[in-house]
Amino acid sequence: MLTKEFIGLVTEASGLSKKETEQLLTTMNAIVRENLVAGKAIQLQGLGALEVKERKARTIVHPRTGERTVVPSKNQLVFRPVANIKDEIKKI
Amino acid sequence: MRRALAARAGVSEKKAGAFLSAVQTQLVEALKNDKQLKINGLGTFKLQAVAPRKSVNVTTGEEILIEGYNKLAFTPEAGVKELIEKGDRTPATEEREAVDPLRKLGAQAEEIVDLLGDLGQRPTEEKKAPKAKAPKAPKAPKAPKKKAQEAAAPEPVAAPEPVVAPEPVKEPEPVVAPEPVVIPEPVHEPEPEIIVQKPKQEKKHHFVRDVLICVVILLLLLFVGYFFLRQQLSGIIDSFIQPAQTEQVEQAPAASPAEPAAETAAEEAGSPQEQLTDESLEASGELDENRYPELITIEPMHEASRLAWMSKRYYGSKIYWPYLYDANRDILVNPSRITVGTPIRVPKLSKLQLDTTNAQTAARLEQLRIEAEEACRK
Repeated sequence: MLTKEFIGLVTEASGLSKKETEQLLTTMNAIVRENLVAGKAIQLQGLGALEVKERKARTIVHPRTGERTVVPSKNQLVFRPVANIKDEIKKI
Repeated sequence: MRRALAARAGVSEKKAGAFLSAVQTQLVEALKNDKQLKINGLGTFKLQAVAPRKSVNVTTGEEILIEGYNKLAFTPEAGVKELIEKGDRTPATEEREAVDPLRKLGAQAEEIVDLLGDLGQRPTEEKKAPKAKAPKAPKAPKAPKKKAQEAAAPEPVAAPEPVVAPEPVKEPEPVVAPEPVVIPEPVHEPEPEIIVQKPKQEKKHHFVRDVLICVVILLLLLFVGYFFLRQQLSGIIDSFIQPAQTEQVEQAPAASPAEPAAETAAEEAGSPQEQLTDESLEASGELDENRYPELITIEPMHEASRLAWMSKRYYGSKIYWPYLYDANRDILVNPSRITVGTPIRVPKLSKLQLDTTNAQTAARLEQLRIEAEEACRK
C-alpha cells in the first residue's frame, strides 16, 4: 500500500481533515528522522520502537587473496514492534 | 511524541493523539490487506513470512513442528538510511575514518615503517610516549599472538573507544594515538612487520614459480604430442604409398588375363567415344589413332581419390592424369567432381604416350589438361 491510500485510511479513522493528516504525517516523519539521525531511540505509541544501533568496525578477509580490509563501523536502524502488534501480525 | 508533534505541526494535542492512534490501527489494517505499507519520507513496513520448521524438544527428544508466522520488518528509505548510517559522528570518529578508510593493512604496515624511521632520528619524542603507553601496552602484545597479519590492527581496535562516549574529554586521545602505537616498543614492532610482508612475498614467488612450471610442462607435452603424431602420420602415409606401388605392379599383369570380358566391354564402349574424339581432335594424328587399345582395369572411384592419384598408381606419375580424363570423357562431365563409385576406365598406355620428352606427347598431354580444366569450369 502506498502513502496516499494510507492517508485516506487514517483520515477516515481519525476524523481529521485530509490536509491535517498529511501535515501530521510529514511532521511525524521529520521528527522520527531527526531523532534517529541524532542517534536517539524513538517510541511510536502502540507500534514499536525505532532504535539506532552501532555496528562495530571489523576486519574482513578476502577468501581468495587473503587480503584484509577494515569495514568501518556504522549505525543501523532497528525496529522492534510492540508485543500486541507482533501477536496480531503473526496470525495473518 | 504527541506533544512534540502537536507543537511542530501547530495542531492541538487532542488531534495529534487521534492521528497517532489512527496511524496505529490503520497500519495494522493496511498490513493485513496488503502485507506492505510504504510511507514516503520514512520507509516501508513489510510482513515477512517465517516458514514452518521442525525442531526437537531438548528434554524429551521429541520432534516438534514450529508453525510458520509473520513478522513485521521495517526498512528505512534509502536517503534516511544513509543519514542514519552516518549518524552523529563525533569528530573523533571522523578522524579515524580519515586514517583508515578501508585501507589495506599492508599499506598501514608500510606507514608504520616510515614512522619508525622518523622516530629513530628523533629520540626526544619517545619521552612523550609513556603517557599513552598505559592503555596501549596491553594491546600491543595481543596483536602478534592472534596472527602476524593483524599486527597493524591496533589502530582500528583502539579507535572505536571514542565512538561509545562522544565526550570532548576523550577526543584528544585518538589524535595522539597513531604515534604511540608505534612508539612503545620500537624493538619489538619491526618483527611483526617483517612477518607481515614475508608471507606475501613468498606467496607471490610461489605463484610465479607454479605458473612457470605449468608452462614448461605444457610445452613439453605439446612437443611430445607433436612428434608422436608426426611419426604416426608419416607411418600412415608410407603404408598408403607402398601398397599403392605394389598394387600397381601386381595389378598390371593380373588384370589383363583375369578380365578379358571387361576389357572387351570397355573397348566396345570406348571405341565410339574414340571416334567422337577423333573427329574433334584430328590434328593430333598418330597418337590419337591407337590411343587406348587396351585397358588395364576398370576401377570404381572411391572416396578421397582423384584422377591424379590413380595416374600415379598405374603409370607411376601424376602427370598422366589427363589420359584418364580423356578415356572417360563420356562419363566425366567435370573431372574435379567425380561421384564416388563412378567406374573409371584405366587404359594401357603405349611407350610413346608415356614419353614426356617427346614433344608431341607433351603437347597432347597439355592439350588434354587444358580441355579438362575447361570442363571443370563448366
